[in-house]
Formats: sequence, structure tokens, C-alpha cells
Amino acid sequence: MQITLPKLLKFMSQQCLMIIILQVMSMQLLIAEHVVGQNLKTTKVTAKIQRKRIEEIFKVIEKKTDYVFVFPSEVKDEDDTYSFNFANESLDNVLRRLRQASRLKFQVIDYTITAAADPTAAPKPVSIRKEVPAAIRVSGTITDAGDNARLPGVNILVKGTTLGTSTDGNGAYTLDVPDESAVLVYSFIGYQSREITVGTQTVIDVAMEQDVTSLQEIVVVGYGTQKKSDLTGSVGTVKAEDIQERQLPSVSQALAGRVAGVNVSVNSGRPGGQSNVRIRGFSSISTSNNPLYVVDGVIMPVGTQTDGSYSLNNAIDNINPADIASMEILKDASATAIYGARGANGVILITTKRGSTSGSKISYDMQLSVPTIGPNRVEMLDAQQFLDVEQLGWDNIKYYDAAGWNPTGGPNGTGSHSSGREDPQDSRSKMGPGAGIYALFDANGNPLYNTDWFKESTQNKLSQNHQLSVTGGNADNSYGVYLGFRDDNGLLLNSFMKRYSGRFVMDSQVKSWLKIGGSLGYNYQEENIVDFGTGGLNSVRMITEALPILPVKYSNGIYSHNKNYSPSIEGGRNPVDQLLNNTYNLISRTTLGNMYANIKLAEGLELRSTVGLNILERERQRYDSRPAPQTPTYVNSPNERGTARLRSERETFWSFENYLTYTKRFADIHALTAMVGQSAQETNIFWFQQSSRNFISDFFQVNNMGAAQDFAVDSPPVSSGKARFAFSSYFGRINYGLKDKYLVTVTGRFDGSSKFGAANKYAFFPSAALAWRISEEPFLKGNRVLSNLKLRTSYGLTGNSEISTYSALPTLRIVTSVFSNSRVSGVATNRLGNPDLKWEKTAQSDIGLEIGLFQNRIAIEADVYYRRTTDMLLSAPLPVTSGYGTITRNVGTMENKGLEFTVTTTNVENNDFSWRTTFNISMNRNKVLKLANPAPIFGVGNPNFTNQTGVIMEGQPVGSFWGLNRLGTWGSDEAAEAAKFGVNTYRGTNKPLLPGDVKYLDVDGNYAINDNDRMIIGNGNPKSYGSFINNLQYKAFDLVLDLQYSYGNDVLNMTMHSGEDRTGLANSYASVLNAWTETNEGGEIAAVRDSKAGYVSNVDTHWIEDGSFLRGRNLVVGYTLPSNVVERIHLSRARVYVSTQNFFLATKFSGNDPEVSTYTNPFAQGQTFFDYPKPTTYMFGISVGL
Amino acid sequence: MDKMKIINKRYIALLCSAALVVGAGCSSSFLDEEDPSNIAPETFFKTPEDAETAVRGAYENFRFHGDGAGIFSANFQMLDALSGTAETETGQNSDLNNLYSYQYTGDNLHLQQWWQQCYEGIANANLSIERIPAIPAITEADALKWIGQAKFLRAFYYFWVVQLWGDVPLLTRPIYAWNDADVNAVRTSTQQVYDLIVKDLTDAEAAGFSDTDGTGLASKIAVKSLLAKVYLTMAGYPLSKGASYYQLAADKAKEVVDYSVANPSKVGLFTSYDDLHDPAKRNQMENIFQIQYSPGIANANYQTFFLPNNTNITASGEVGTTVPTTGFLATYEAGDKRTMEKGFYFKQYYLDGGTGAPTTLNRFYIYKHFDVIANGRAAIGDQPAIVGTGNSGLNYPLILFSDVLLTYAEAQNELGLNAGAYAGLKLIRDRAGLTTPDIGTFNQSSFRTAVWAERWHELSYVGITWFDMIRLRKVYDVASKTFVDFLGAEVNGAVLQEKHYLLPLPAADYRNNPNLAPNNPGW
Repeated sequence: MQITLPKLLKFMSQQCLMIIILQVMSMQLLIAEHVVGQNLKTTKVTAKIQRKRIEEIFKVIEKKTDYVFVFPSEVKDEDDTYSFNFANESLDNVLRRLRQASRLKFQVIDYTITAAADPTAAPKPVSIRKEVPAAIRVSGTITDAGDNARLPGVNILVKGTTLGTSTDGNGAYTLDVPDESAVLVYSFIGYQSREITVGTQTVIDVAMEQDVTSLQEIVVVGYGTQKKSDLTGSVGTVKAEDIQERQLPSVSQALAGRVAGVNVSVNSGRPGGQSNVRIRGFSSISTSNNPLYVVDGVIMPVGTQTDGSYSLNNAIDNINPADIASMEILKDASATAIYGARGANGVILITTKRGSTSGSKISYDMQLSVPTIGPNRVEMLDAQQFLDVEQLGWDNIKYYDAAGWNPTGGPNGTGSHSSGREDPQDSRSKMGPGAGIYALFDANGNPLYNTDWFKESTQNKLSQNHQLSVTGGNADNSYGVYLGFRDDNGLLLNSFMKRYSGRFVMDSQVKSWLKIGGSLGYNYQEENIVDFGTGGLNSVRMITEALPILPVKYSNGIYSHNKNYSPSIEGGRNPVDQLLNNTYNLISRTTLGNMYANIKLAEGLELRSTVGLNILERERQRYDSRPAPQTPTYVNSPNERGTARLRSERETFWSFENYLTYTKRFADIHALTAMVGQSAQETNIFWFQQSSRNFISDFFQVNNMGAAQDFAVDSPPVSSGKARFAFSSYFGRINYGLKDKYLVTVTGRFDGSSKFGAANKYAFFPSAALAWRISEEPFLKGNRVLSNLKLRTSYGLTGNSEISTYSALPTLRIVTSVFSNSRVSGVATNRLGNPDLKWEKTAQSDIGLEIGLFQNRIAIEADVYYRRTTDMLLSAPLPVTSGYGTITRNVGTMENKGLEFTVTTTNVENNDFSWRTTFNISMNRNKVLKLANPAPIFGVGNPNFTNQTGVIMEGQPVGSFWGLNRLGTWGSDEAAEAAKFGVNTYRGTNKPLLPGDVKYLDVDGNYAINDNDRMIIGNGNPKSYGSFINNLQYKAFDLVLDLQYSYGNDVLNMTMHSGEDRTGLANSYASVLNAWTETNEGGEIAAVRDSKAGYVSNVDTHWIEDGSFLRGRNLVVGYTLPSNVVERIHLSRARVYVSTQNFFLATKFSGNDPEVSTYTNPFAQGQTFFDYPKPTTYMFGISVGL
Repeated sequence: MDKMKIINKRYIALLCSAALVVGAGCSSSFLDEEDPSNIAPETFFKTPEDAETAVRGAYENFRFHGDGAGIFSANFQMLDALSGTAETETGQNSDLNNLYSYQYTGDNLHLQQWWQQCYEGIANANLSIERIPAIPAITEADALKWIGQAKFLRAFYYFWVVQLWGDVPLLTRPIYAWNDADVNAVRTSTQQVYDLIVKDLTDAEAAGFSDTDGTGLASKIAVKSLLAKVYLTMAGYPLSKGASYYQLAADKAKEVVDYSVANPSKVGLFTSYDDLHDPAKRNQMENIFQIQYSPGIANANYQTFFLPNNTNITASGEVGTTVPTTGFLATYEAGDKRTMEKGFYFKQYYLDGGTGAPTTLNRFYIYKHFDVIANGRAAIGDQPAIVGTGNSGLNYPLILFSDVLLTYAEAQNELGLNAGAYAGLKLIRDRAGLTTPDIGTFNQSSFRTAVWAERWHELSYVGITWFDMIRLRKVYDVASKTFVDFLGAEVNGAVLQEKHYLLPLPAADYRNNPNLAPNNPGW
């Protein structure tokens, strides 16, 4: 099976999995001999040839070797004769000499050598068609049995002869065969060969089955490629067709659920919305846990881009997923250690699509889609329910704040409260018909409106996505042009993401020893982030809190405002007003380019030199418009007359990398690949921002900020910053294989980063791995059941360096001081220096087992790993008496251990019907082993809500939620026990605990509920998660069913604060209808009372919900048009499909979606405080090729 | 041809090797870093003006006082909450609730932030004190002045810390390295902390400050006023220095009072209570020393916590988490101007964000800190309406002349009631429209409680009352209008215990710094 490598490479190219261009080229062209396989080199030819025609020479060689020649009739070279003296020359040398002499080129597939005219050769008439006396002319079309795509370049050979041809660009062929007994052999790399006896047929169409032996895949690893069978590390692959299936705007969403051990939480329904990618858990507490992304060898900026507590997107989200040919996810240390100090969170290598090596191709993909409200939605009180609850709240004031209650106060003598909250009846009477346009009630006091704000805030607007690619070229020179336009309209009003992308790629075999190429891409992306302003009364929060008794607009066109009803209601602009009139445009411009040169220095020795460039420019244009008036006569204060904010950032990255690769096979049993290289990288960042306020009109937005009347909005109103960091690295790797059974990989990277202390700039990150292909052992080889069995194990160190720049340096900061009522600058302590600051290191061991059964129709891959992070970079709390809150230090130890399991089965496989299933499951357990100080760390990694929401504590996993334990509510029969808490309680002064109040666990039994009663109450990380994906094909129809599941993840649903604890201030969740009453005791929700009467709101166990879920992530039904139809419209392929994404969601979670996180903090997964709801999307798509 | 190729290859290999070497050669400086957006301590302190700039940095720390402490609360509210004279209209901040109900622990956010921010102020003051003398070309007078300013600030922050926590770490020099021994500072006796405070203030007094300072810097009068307060506090609990310190307090306060008599246009009581919260009257007369705010530049965000919860009577946020208890308001004498509408308190304002129709609230709220420019006001008579800006720049008072007058009255009375002491009390009461019994009707004890009561009434909601409670170990019982012992006193239903003399040490530091143990008594 030594010929499988070239076969495989061809397969890759067919699948757009072209990786290292050189290798693809060399597969196509014999002249680039070293990759073609050892057989051509080890097969020696000795022959003396005197003036023989080329066909005769072939016959001589055929006799002396195992190879057969295919000589397509149209290129026969009948007149020329040649003389050679081959003296124990390798076959590849022989072919090279033949090429130079004859102007033919050769393609080697298995043991078949196909000759073809060499267009790059000098214009000499070498091809003269020769008529062969033939009985039958056969023609036909060759297609892929999987996707019905036509296959160009398939070899067709009349068995036992040199007669043959190959298919053209449309997969068509014509061949003259001698007689009916002729047997045609169809062969193509990556496909199972077919033999068909011609018989009486003149049209023979063949659907070729892919060779399911995925073992022979080539995968990209850092600074090189490897056969999957030779891998010693844990690497997952996502292919272009997987990405194509989902048609999602961001790379991370396309990645979700594809690879075990990779947890992608898509936490927002915003187009292109925020997601968290975690590979094998967490490696770090206060630095980034995001993986490293490497696009065509260019490292992307790491870290989360945020705006305060608000997530924007990562650099990788600005890449067009349609440009991706494959993604490889490096998980274990053997795979990631080549990225040394940046590999600890895993590495995602992205290979983009390249040009075509087999003629011109045009392909076009288009999707139209519409978002609708997702499968689950939270229910709010409707108008009448709101009024009832508000009334109940008022009626209960007298019980729950007896001290503040005056039974004879109020305009009607019906009682009043010290806060001035008025009887809702009074508010309503003011808003009756007498209020004219602004009336909310009819003469009978019934509400005029019953607004469903969720519905009003959403749109079902058509989105479109167009991707056009033009590729062309031949084996030596290829190019590709990729254009994309995406216009996503989100579920919420006015929410959109537009992306224009263009990319040009070129690869050229300039000389036999030199190949150059590169790509240049530009993306322009514009998003309107309508859900910004987390924590405040932003649009997504007001969907819950806007009063259902208000209209969206009054008949005069003025938007309603919660205060319109009553001053006691907390403010808040209605969500439609916010969505339509406020803007937060995030504009990203990404220029991503690289150039490479591959230089063959000697046999098996190659130098690759790469220059990479990534310029990310980002602009935030934010405008807060005038809010609707709170009362008809309300005058907006100057700070409510429009606020414009503009921020511009530029992040420039370059890299220059050079590495030498040496490949050699000794004595046919030792396979060695050695690589050594150097890398230099630099990133420069500059940003500035400005703000202004109080405009004469909302017209200007950010487009004339000087038109404002007030420039003291933010303090200071203008700001800017600059930062630089750089890496200098040396790396190397040795892969050694003995008899292709025993495989060893040793990797090392010596990494230097500017971010570290002077004494610790450099560190070394080694790894080693062993693999044993047990199925290659004699006792298993050829086993009918067990087709593949491989055991691999690895150990290595990787690092994390994603701390802020300059953390090692002591600095002062500039502060705004005020003297004489004006600003003067002061300096103040800022950061302690730490010259000892160094890398965070993660040691990881991994044991993996790969099993293939029944010719790999069942493929199982399982990994167990243990990761231990030491010298953890941490903004470690210092005793604050020092004047400093934290110091960035290397302290702390954390572990992750886990299990990953993937099984892929081909359940049914025949010409008409196939069914493939992939199931994966991952489990990760995390624990903090050691911290700098014994004190639990609050406020790092978690937001502070009404209280601390999370804690980092020794012996506990990160992502732990912190709060009180709500036991329920005090019952009527427990009044005496509740009274023991005294009159001053956590509810406030003079507010004793009464039946109907929240009952917390009093841990220390001191009848006071305070911080001593808080504890770990949940964890946002799933116990297990994964995907279940089915691909079915019946004739021209295909179907994908993609299910996602997560088990054991808690959600800290802080929206309960708004939804249940603010009655009387805003609208509430319908769940408050089930609150405690004397006749409905025992629930968890306290008796409804106006918030001014002491309604406590604490992070507690009632807010913790089981976030386990099963989601119908994607359902696609496609139809590939038959070839005769396609041909009639002059296309080579055409497929139409419909799909629906997020079409069902089974969960106990009470909110919209349990896969959610509002905050950017690293351990805030599952902490939600109003997020962009996830839509169900319906899509129609067309995919055509020309 | 083949030969050509080989030559080419060798040439390129050479080039590439050269590139590798160059890459490596660059790397020594390639990885150096300098933060271009922040200045390093070593590169600062070069010119005489840098002294002032550094001191300003230590002033900025005062603004923590009005900064947030969780939902609907700010740090300053801790002192009002503990005083028992306030309550909240919304129960949503459990840290604040626990302060109101004396159920706080060392994890309480307000308490932790007071501790941290005071020590940051101290660190910034220490930086100035250490670095200013080494500034080249600074004049001796300038060095003295700016070091004096920094010492005043250090004393001010330590005075807060020592009153709240007792024996605390005493850091007198900046820390530059995280492994400095003083990072895990040990606690120093209360006496030694006061020694430093007195020393710093004495130095500041002699540092050549101007008598008064309209810009917001500490003046000589401010230093003397603070020193008088420090001496008065030292005379009481926990140091209980007694007579000699009442003498020091009286003498120092009298210097300020005498200055006021001699310079009535520079230091003295405002004639109108409105002036106390008029942004135009910043840093003058009664406002001896204030936290400096400026609208749009450094907003006085504390404003909202005093305003009635969601009533829509102002252009500011209305949170209502520091609201006077009706019990305390009832203790004012009848006819006291301070309790009349818009004296210290108000219950009438205007709808529609402050500019609409008049409305009457159900209770009184604090007017002492009410910023009309930020909150807005309807037209009154011929005064046009003010549309509120929503941005307050109103300074918050830290030292008031009224406090100095009462300090003098209290301290002098302990030494022997005299006309000067009586005059101080009477000035305050006269302004409130109250009659004061003749000096002859008082004995030492009755004058003492009269001054105390006046302190409660005059110095309400400015962060002073709690310090009086722990200094005197007395609580003003609103029912009987008498002073009762702190221990066992019932405040808003809670019974005060010995542990309440001092706050628990902030939990994070207590856990992280082994040298802080044991905690304060009872915690």
C-alpha cells in the first residue's frame, strides 16, 4: 500500500483539501519527485533503448517494473523515436528524462502512469492523433456517488492494454475500445476503483464510491502536514463540506459540535454573534482561554475583543467561513507544542481554499433565509396580569412594610406608603380617556393595549448570502478568486451584519525547485449591535420590562416610555424605540495576506519561507438617541439629547517564518521527517476614541460629532492608547516511523515574548509522542473485522502568554483630578512591576485509541487526557494595604481531565442509498489546585451582579457560581421561626421576615443572612456535551440532521432579578403569578409586593437552573439536479436545498435558551442577564458549478 | 542548466540562512518593551511641576467616597447607614441592607472598598512624600508645600482607617515590588497610627499653605481643623487621652474660630442653608475642605442616592437608598429651620423631571446635598425654570466650619465651659432659628449633651455621626432624645454590641495577609 500517498493527495485536492501546494503539485507532476512515493525512486530500470517510439519504450518499462502505462489516444506521439541508456536508474529519473525528451508529462496513480501532453513544454508538434482500429466507441460521465459531483481527471484504462483516457473538466470521457470483451478500469485517487465490461454498452456512466478509508487523509499540522495514519497526536478535522452544510456567518459557529473536546458555546442569537470556544476545558484563570487561530500559517490576534463588559467578536469572526477548505484542531501537547507558548488553549489551523489545478471552474452558492422567534420563549405578564400583579403588590405593602404604611394617608384615605408610591388605581384613573392621545385605559378602567414586546421587537426579514469563486490553472500554476457578500438580518429589529469579502490566491511552480504563492484577502464587515448596554435598561432587557399596557407608539407617532404610566415605574425606553433609534455599528476591516516560497534545496530537503500580514481595523460608531418623553410635557435634559461615541482601533500583525523540512526513507523501513525553523512576529496596536453629546437633532449620529454642544461626556472625552508586543521563536520537530507501525514525534519550541520580565523572555516547550499501529502487525494485518487499530500517547508542555502588554513593567497612571472646578491631570500608582513574570505552562498527557472496523465503516476515536497548568498567570490579589489590588504573577495550579469519544459509522452504503452517522461526546472536569493566596477570589472571571456571582476557590472547579441557598418561602406556620431574624433583616431596617418572604438557608444559624451564608451553588460547565449528526443520501436527495446536546451545565439566570424581583417597577415574568399567597404556599417566589416594601434580590439557588438541552441544530434537505438537466443549462453541477437551524430545543430551562452567556469574563459561561434571543432560521439555498 | 539550478539553490539557501541569522540577531532588542501610554515611576519626578501632579493623584482617591458599591449604592452610604439615622427605600442591595441592620461581615463590599481606597490614597501620598525631595531643581518651599499636601492627605486617609478599624497596618513608604516585606503588613497600634497622623498634620501646618484655598487644595485652616478633630477623637475612645487632648483640640479649633472672627469673608457659617449645596460656593466659608467634583469631568454620582426612589421629580437618577428616618427627623426642636422645607430636608418638588407642576412627597428627603443645576427646578416667581443637566458637579463636604465650632464647644466644655464654647453652639442654633438658653443655665454635663445633640442635628448625613458614636460610645436615642450608652443601645431594632466599636477586617485581606490576625474583637 505504499502508493496510497499520491492517491490520497489527489483525493485531498478533489475535496478542496489542498494543503501544502507543493505536495499537491508533485503528485500531479512527476517532476517534483520526492513526495510521489518511494516506489518511483526505489524502482530501478536498466535498459538500452535504441530509436524506439514512446509506446514501445513504455512496454519495455512495463516489462521491467510493476507499472502500467496509460497512453490516451489523442496524445500519441507516433513519429518520434528516442534512444536512452538507462543504467539502474530510478523510475522517476527515467520519467523525468522521458518528459524532457518527449514533451509529455506523467501522472502516477497507484501503479498506473498516465501520459498527457505537457502544455508548458516548448511548442513542438508532439501530439498527433492516431486512429486505432476500434470496434466500439464508449462515452460516459463519471460522478461522485456521494454528492453526484462530476469528477474530472478520472483514469479509464482498457484492462491489459495501454489504451486509456481520462475525464475532462465535466467528468466526461470518450474512449475507443477494441471489442465487447474489453474491461474498463476506472481509477481515481480517493475512490474505489471500478471494473466494467463494455459488452453492448456505448454509454457507461459510473458513480464512483469514495474510498472510506479515512486513514489516508492528510492533515495539516503546525508547520507541515502528515498522513492521518502517521499522526501521533490528537487532531480533529472539519472539512469544507461540513462548513457548507451550516452556512453560518462565523467560523466558530461552523466549528460547533464537529470535534470532540471542542466546546463551542454560541451565546447570542445576534448575526455573527458572540461565541466561546474552549478546547479541553480551561488552562487559565485570568488570561485568555481562547484557542490560537492560525490561518494559512498566519497567527490571528488572540483574546476577546470587548467593549467594557460587552462582547464584540474575535478576529476569527471576521473571516468568511466560505473561504475555508479545512480546519484542524490541535488538541494534545504533541500537536500544539510546535506553537509553544501560545498552544496551551489548543490551536485551530485554518486552511483556505486555493486555485484549481485542473482547469477553470466557477462556482456559485446562494442562500436566502429568514429568522423567526426560536423554539422556546420566555413568557411575560400580559396587560391584565400586569395590572393584577401591580395591584397585589400595592395591597401587600401594608404587610411587608408595616412601618412605612400609613393606613389613613393617601388622597382617598385608603392608605399610603412612606415612599410616595401611589395606589395603582390613582395612576390608572389619571391615564383614562382624559389623557387624550396618551390614554392607556378606557372609561371602565380596562387597558387599551396588550403589547407583546417580544413579538414587537422582532423582524422576519430576508437575509441573503452569495459566494462566488472562480478558479483556474493547471498543475503548475493556479489561481483562485473568491468573492462573498453576506447580508444577515437578525431576529431583533434593525439588527444586521453585512460582510463583503474578496480573496485572491495564487500558486506557481516557478522552477522545478521553487514554488511561490500567496493569498490576499480583504473583509469588510458591518454589524449593528442592537443588544449593547448590558446591565442597563437596554433593548433586550426592556423586552421583559416594558409594560404590556403601553402601545409601541401613540397615534401621534411618539414612542411610549414606561414612565408614561406612572412615575413609580422605573424608567426605561421601550425596546422598539431603542432598537430602531439607537445604533451601535461595529465596522471591521480585515486585510489578511501571506506569501510563501518553497525551495527545494536538495533531495528531500525543502525550505519554506512565509511572510504573513494581518491588519485589523475596527471602528465602533455608537449613537444613543433622544429617549421618548417620560410625560407629555417632559423636557429632555441636555444629557438626553443624543450622545455619539466613536472609537477606532488598528491592530497590525506581521510574521516572518522560515523552516527547513527534511524527509527521507531509509532501507524501506525507517521514515524520517525532520523540521527546524524560526519565527518572528510583531503586533502593534493603536486606538483612539472620542465622544460628544447634546445635539440639536438626532440627524447627525456620529457623522458630525462637532455639531454637539457638549464635549464632556466621558471623562476624559478623548483618549488613545498604543501597545506593541513581539515574539521571537525557534522550533523543530522530528517524526520517525519504523516500518510504518511504530511512530515517534518529538517537538520543541523555544519561544520568546516581549510581554515577560527581562529575566524570563524565553522558555522551552518540548513534547514527545508515541504511536503504535497495531493493525499493521502481522497478527492483525488483513483482519476482516479490525481494519485499523492505533494506540497513541503523548506528553508535552505548552504555554499561555495572553496577558496584557507591559504587565511586567511598573507604571503610573494618569488620573482626572479636579481643582477649581476643572480638570487637571494627576499621576497615581497603577501597576507593580514583576521582572520575574514568565510563561504559564500547561503539561498535558494524552492517550488515544483509534479503531476501524469492517473496512472502517465503523471508526472510533477515543482520547483521555490530563492537563495540569502551573505557574498560572493570575492577577493575583495582593493585600490591598500595599496600595495595589492585584499583581500579575505566576501562581496557582489547575487541572483538567477529560474523555473524548467519537464514533463514525457508515450504516448503509449502496448506489442509491447511504447513511452515515457521527456521534461525539466530551467530558471535562476542572479543578483549581492551588492559588496565590488562600482566600477565594471574587471578581476575577465573573461579573458582579447584585452580589458576587462566581468564585475561584482551591479544590473547586472554575465557573462555580456563588450565592445564597433559597430554601423556598416562609410558610404561615413558620411565622415564629421567621420572627427570630429580628426586625432588621436582609430585607432592610424595620422589615422583619414574614410568611411569604424568601427563606434562605442560615448556614451559621445566627439568624442573620449575610455573606457567611453564601456558598457554591452551581457550575456553568457541562458534565458532557457533543453532537449527533446523520447524513443520508437517497439517489439525488440528501439529508443532514444535526443534533447538539449538553448535559449537566447550570445556568445562573440573573434575568430573574428583573423578571421576579421588581414587581411594581417594571413588567415581570409570568412566573410571578405563582408567587406565594396564603392559599398558595410552598413555592420559591416570595409574595408579590411593591419593590419599595423590601423586595430582596440576591444571587441564589432559585436563579440556578438546569441548562441541559438537546437542540435540533440543523436540518438540511437537498436535491442534486440530474446531469442532463444541468447540462441543458450549461452547468457542471447544481444542487438546491432547504434547511432549518435551531428548529427544536428540549430543555427544562425557563428562559429563551440555556446556551447563553452575557458577560465576557472567562468563567461567565451560563451567566445570563438578557441576551439576544436565538432565532429559528429557515433557509433556501442553491449551489451551482460551471 | 542543472548547474544553474544548483547555483541558484545555493544562493537562495545562503540568503535564507542569512535571514535566519538576522532574525536571531534582531531578537535581543526585538523583545524589549516600553509602555508608550503610561509613564514609569523612574521616568517621572523630573521637573518641579511633577510634585504637584503627583499630589493631585492622591487627591483623586477621595472620589471613591461617591463611587458605586453594588446595585443602587455608593461607598459613602456605609457611614450614614451605621449612624442609624437613615434607611433605604429599596431593598435590593443586600450589602447595604446588612449595614443598615448591623449584620455586615468582612465580606461587605462597602467596607472592603473603604479599606482598599483609603490605602490607595495612602500609597499615592507615600509616593509623593518619598519622591518629591529627589526632584532636581525643586525649590525648598515647593518641596515643603507639596510634601505637606501629601502628608495632609495621608493623615486624612489614616484618620478614616484608624477610626473604623483600630490597629491597622501603618505604611509610610511606597511599595515597588510585590515581594516587598510590607506587602503582608503587620498591624500597628492605634496609638502609633495617631502619632503619625498628628505628625503629618503638624508638618502640613508648617508647610506654608495659604490660609484658605478656593481651588480645593488643603489650606492651613483645613489642616488646623482636621488636627482639632483628630485631637478631639484622641481624647475620646479608644485612646481616651482625656483632658490634655481636649485642650489640644480646643486650642487648635480656636485658632480656626479666631481666624474666622478676623476674616469673616473667608471662613464662617453660610447665612443660608442653600449655600451648603450651591456649586458656586465650593471651597469657601463653611466648606473648609471638600471632595472636588466637576460636571462632566468628575460627576458627583452620590447625588442619586439621596433622591426619592422613582418619583420623576428630578433629571437625575432617583434611588432613595439614604433617606432620613422619620424617628430622627422628629428629634429636631420645633421651629428648627433645618427641618423646614428645603432647609436640610425637603418633601416638595416638581413633577416631570423637576420642571413641572409642584408635588408633595410622602416624606422628607435630604436637601443638604441637592444639586439644583443637575436636578432641575421649575420656575419660581421671576426665577426661570432650570432644566436639570443630570450631571452633578457638587462637591461633598469633608470638613465644615460648623463641625469646627462644635469641636471647639465640646472640647472647651470638657476643660470648662466658657463664652467662646457657648458662642460656637449659639451660632449654629441661631442660624437654625432656635433660641439657646443662657450660658448660665448650662452645667458641664448639660452643655455636653446639648453640643452632642447639635452635632447630630447639624452634622447629619455628612459622614460624621458614626464617628461621633464610636468616639463617644454614645448613641442618640430618638425616642427619648437622650444619649444612651453605645453598648446595648437599640438602633432601628438592632442591639449594638462591643464588636460594633470597630469594623471587621476586610475579608480578602484578612484571608490573604496572615499578619492581620487576630481579627477585631468579636469578629
